[in-house]
Amino acid sequence: MKLLIVEDEAKTASFLKQGFSEAGFLVSVAADGLEGRRQIESVGFDLIVLDIMLPGVDGWETLRWMRGAGVGTPVLILTARDEVADRVRGLELGADDYLVKPFAFSELLARVRTILRRPTVREPATLRVADLELDLTGQKAMRGGQRLDLTGREFKLLSLLMRRSGEVLTRTLIAESVWNMNSEGDTNVVDVNMRRLRSKVDDPFPQKLLRTVRGVGYVLENPEGQ
Amino acid sequence: MSWKTLRDSKTGSRGGASLAVLLTAWYTTASFALVAIGTGLLYFALADNLRKISEQSLLDEVEVCRALVLEQGGDSHPLHEEVEIDSAVRRYQKFYIRVIDGQGAASTTTPGMDRDLSESRVAAAAAQYGGIFRIASPNGAPYRAMVATVPRDAMGRDNWTLQVAVDLTQEQVVLGRQRVWVWTLLAAALILCPGIGFAIARRSTRPLREVAETARHIGSSTLNERIGAEGYPVEIRGLALAFNAMLERLEESFARMSRFSADIAHELRTPVNNIRGQAEVALARPRSPEEYVEVIASGLEESVRLSELIESLLFLARSESPGDHLKRTPEDIGRLLADLRDYYEVAATEAGVTMSSTAERDNIMAYVDRMLLLRALGNLVSNALAHCSTGDTIVLGALRQDEQIHIVVRDTGSGIPADALPRVFDRLYRADPARSRNSGGAGLGLAIVRQIIHLHGGEVEIASSPGQGTTVLVILPRSTAPRESPLPTAPIY
Repeated sequence: MKLLIVEDEAKTASFLKQGFSEAGFLVSVAADGLEGRRQIESVGFDLIVLDIMLPGVDGWETLRWMRGAGVGTPVLILTARDEVADRVRGLELGADDYLVKPFAFSELLARVRTILRRPTVREPATLRVADLELDLTGQKAMRGGQRLDLTGREFKLLSLLMRRSGEVLTRTLIAESVWNMNSEGDTNVVDVNMRRLRSKVDDPFPQKLLRTVRGVGYVLENPEGQ
Repeated sequence: MSWKTLRDSKTGSRGGASLAVLLTAWYTTASFALVAIGTGLLYFALADNLRKISEQSLLDEVEVCRALVLEQGGDSHPLHEEVEIDSAVRRYQKFYIRVIDGQGAASTTTPGMDRDLSESRVAAAAAQYGGIFRIASPNGAPYRAMVATVPRDAMGRDNWTLQVAVDLTQEQVVLGRQRVWVWTLLAAALILCPGIGFAIARRSTRPLREVAETARHIGSSTLNERIGAEGYPVEIRGLALAFNAMLERLEESFARMSRFSADIAHELRTPVNNIRGQAEVALARPRSPEEYVEVIASGLEESVRLSELIESLLFLARSESPGDHLKRTPEDIGRLLADLRDYYEVAATEAGVTMSSTAERDNIMAYVDRMLLLRALGNLVSNALAHCSTGDTIVLGALRQDEQIHIVVRDTGSGIPADALPRVFDRLYRADPARSRNSGGAGLGLAIVRQIIHLHGGEVEIASSPGQGTTVLVILPRSTAPRESPLPTAPIY
């Protein structure tokens, strides 16, 4: 997967490049709109991460040019401005998503992946990570042949983590997907629920699948690799 | 600043002449007119009186002479005495009398009369005017005169003629002196009226100038200044009091703002300081990978805290700007409370707190922004949870009351001290300063709650007694009730 990052702030560009490279993308960086345009014209990218505040030709201009020239590459806009009007403008100009700084890198990664797999394959009826198995149709969770006794919410939480196994999920994202809550509030409700889930899924077993990523959120993965 | 003031004063003078000048002009015009009319009337009254007096004396004199002619004949001694001596010695209202006998010859004449008023002159004037008339000597001396026919006997056969004139020189002198007075008075009025008028105008507009002067001096650092309203007339006192009330409000919001800025600076300073210090210390010497991880992770946590703080502040700032930012959809409030309870239930259970919602079966629909209302109510619940300990309960309730929707979050937790209660909705205010940021957040939670409810046109009330618990009442207005509400505005994002 080839990714172009158009971002003038060197530090931001650098950590984005590193993050995406380590997530398995081939990353190019352009420091301004003109440079970005040159690269887009010569290379076929799978996705472009576009900053709005660029010297010279800004992000809006670049996006307009792209869509005008018939370049259909998905675009994710990054900006420090989150006025509603800006969001609308970005999406109207043909951007696929919009993320406001400061953001969690894991969220950016998740959104990029979401855009790239949009024409989704149908979900399998059973999810499997290491010896943990989730039967989505039967609403059953098994680990090492042992049935796990989960509540409805816990099942939903576990299926989210398994479906996006290997991705770090932020607390906000978890609260949104599982409880349809837009903010976690002051109390770390998600943490409490994760602790409960962990006591059922991980505590009785020697191999730990759930991992807390400090300052970010949670990830469920096979520690020995896929 | 000075440029602006300059421009303001310019536009001010373009607005019209000075009030003091206008008032002076009106005072001057009015009082000068009064003086002029008054003195004029007095002058004419005097002139009229003088005329009447001289006419009366004239008639008297004629009567005396007539009587003398009639009783004693034309050539009597008393008549001669009257005509030639009595009249001649008078200084004021000097009379001139000529007695003409039946043959047309002057029988007796006051000395000097022939010089100024010849017989023919008087006769001609009498024929022209009749009655009492004014006549002037050839050199311009003024007289009032009349001609009368006097019978010498009762049969009226021998008619004599009397020509009587009174010298008006003295009268003219008196009137002339009066005119001098009149003009002096008018001249004095012309000088004094504007002066006094201006003094009065200055005096009565002085409070206005003082108010303006105070207002000019008040800047953001001197908002505590007030205009002394005592001793001013009612109209100006009203202005001064209104002005003071405005200053009061300004001062309060300035104080609030600067307190808020100071609080923000503090809130930002702490995490930034942590990140900076930990990174500095970590880089001072080589460390184990675990130590680096610790520093980076800690920095990440602080950054997340900063991001959340920025997000909350931006939310508060943006929702203060006018315009409806709400994305309203019809929501079942009971369902919403059940969702909230569902979300917080595990956390509550862990803390030994019982949660219940009483509105589940009621069907209370409202047009609200689901995400925002959830955020507000979520803040209330997590606040309640933070104040509760094992054995406490939290009750969520909703009911419809007179087209309003009341949502209640009640807990039996530790409560809030009475002195902190009025300020809990202030930004960055924490009832307990010692509460760590881990449990307390940035102190924006309740400010956000209030902002969200205000955006919905509602109100939040809080009641608490320490040791007994806290009750928060959210009142959503009529307009959120579905049948009262217009169609939901199209979502813009």
